[in-house]
Amino acid sequence: MGKYAIETRDLEYRYEDGTKALDGVNFCAEVGKITGILGANGAGKSTLFLNLNGVLTPASGQVTLNGEAVRYNRQGIAQLRKEVGIVFQDPDNQLFSADVYRDISFGPVNLGLSTQEVRRRVEWAMEQTGVTHLRDKPTHALSYGQKKRVAIAGVLAMEPKVIILDEPTAGLDPQGVSSVMHLLSDIRDRMGISIVIATHDMDIVPLYCDYAYLLSEGKVQAQGTPEELFARPEILRGNHLRLPRIAHLMEILREEDGLSTQAGIATIAQARKEIKNMLQEH
Amino acid sequence: MGTDRYAYCSRLRQVDPVAKTVLSISAGAVCLLCGGLAPGLGTLLVMGILTTVWGKIPGRVFVRFLGIPITFLLLGCVTIAVGIYDGNTGGVWGLSLGSQVLGVTPTSVHQALCVIAKSLGVISAVYFLTLNTPMTDLTGGLRRMHVPMLLIELMELIYRFIFVLTETAGKIRTAQDSRLGYQGVFRSLSSLGTLSSMVFLRAWKKADNVYAALESRGYTGTLLTVSEEYRPGKLCYGLIPLVWGTQMLCLLLEGKVFG
Repeated sequence: MGKYAIETRDLEYRYEDGTKALDGVNFCAEVGKITGILGANGAGKSTLFLNLNGVLTPASGQVTLNGEAVRYNRQGIAQLRKEVGIVFQDPDNQLFSADVYRDISFGPVNLGLSTQEVRRRVEWAMEQTGVTHLRDKPTHALSYGQKKRVAIAGVLAMEPKVIILDEPTAGLDPQGVSSVMHLLSDIRDRMGISIVIATHDMDIVPLYCDYAYLLSEGKVQAQGTPEELFARPEILRGNHLRLPRIAHLMEILREEDGLSTQAGIATIAQARKEIKNMLQEH
Repeated sequence: MGTDRYAYCSRLRQVDPVAKTVLSISAGAVCLLCGGLAPGLGTLLVMGILTTVWGKIPGRVFVRFLGIPITFLLLGCVTIAVGIYDGNTGGVWGLSLGSQVLGVTPTSVHQALCVIAKSLGVISAVYFLTLNTPMTDLTGGLRRMHVPMLLIELMELIYRFIFVLTETAGKIRTAQDSRLGYQGVFRSLSSLGTLSSMVFLRAWKKADNVYAALESRGYTGTLLTVSEEYRPGKLCYGLIPLVWGTQMLCLLLEGKVFG
């Protein structure tokens, strides 16, 4: 297995009316890392995802899975969907069954596994995502956060190499955000699954992303580690985004108050260290 | 909402849905075939006991659900019982209209009561199934009974999205109401029209999204899933002769009494 779980090269996609939704996107998700795709509404994030999973077929360019170019025949697409799972933003769009257990079993059944193996995977996925106690409940009786977890379990049960999540934190309360993001870090660390998240929740990026792309108008405008991206606030602001709150505070301290804070600091832990250092120097 | 809420708490929830369906259908079918007052009431009694004692569904819930169709039943049966009869008909009682009488006869009343009893019997047999089996298990059972896949998948999707669309409609209604959209008849009608068209459009868009989500999980035309393992329903099958026996006994007794 190469360094990248999934890559795109010069990916182009057009809507039916001819407008370009993706315009030469080069994107790589490293194995066992969380890669962020930052972009405002309508930047092309969702379109990129549907291309990564074969629901949409690119007009030109290439999607490469584990170093091999995806072939758009039935087998190739089946393979792609097996390896790359998508968790959609609204869990109500994803959960089609009124029964939690049966919804999670849908993906594994489509992989053509034996009933016994399907059961094992459903149990495992429910345990990993902490939804085992919801197995006897109808889908419509779950809270939004619980539905989100069940949706993640449904994808995890297919044991993919890559899990893509569209706005995983949208609509969750603050503790729900932390718990879902912890779950994702956990999936990355324990199972080595590569994770791609699209988000405009800037505050989670420095905490959970290992690398990030800035997508706007169907093009990659910038890429780098979160530190590298947050050292360039102008490019974020030029694309309807902003710095994380902590990075913004550090920027104000640096530019308005003349303190010598480093650019790129974006988490509470980093800021705390920086401020302590500055206080000790004085 | 509805019977499903109770079905998830039923003690028979884990029992094989096919067994429950067979018991429910056989009890209902024999009740229909027997006709008469006693077999209907007998079925009502047996299925009521099975639902409340065996399934642990609260008795008042069962009675409340029986109350839902009773209005329709009574209305329907009034038309059976009441008619225009010749004044010489035995036992006729009612409003005299010249040589005719608008009223009831003992036969017509008996007939109406039979229809009520028969209906309640069949309804109780159906309630045994619906109060003890969540919808998703029911469709899973139908699949094993070789009902066409297309029908079952439609049932499953419709059932799931009833709740999603009800929620959407509720939210739109609240949004309209909060801006005084339901003051006065005319405005209410116009708001309701907008609401209906919005729900339709949202459903349309949602269908697209759901389809994409299904495809991304490897959907190729069939919504196959695996359900939780069920407890074998041997007892359900074993109860069928008992139910039939009760119904037959009731039929015989009624024959003796009215014979």
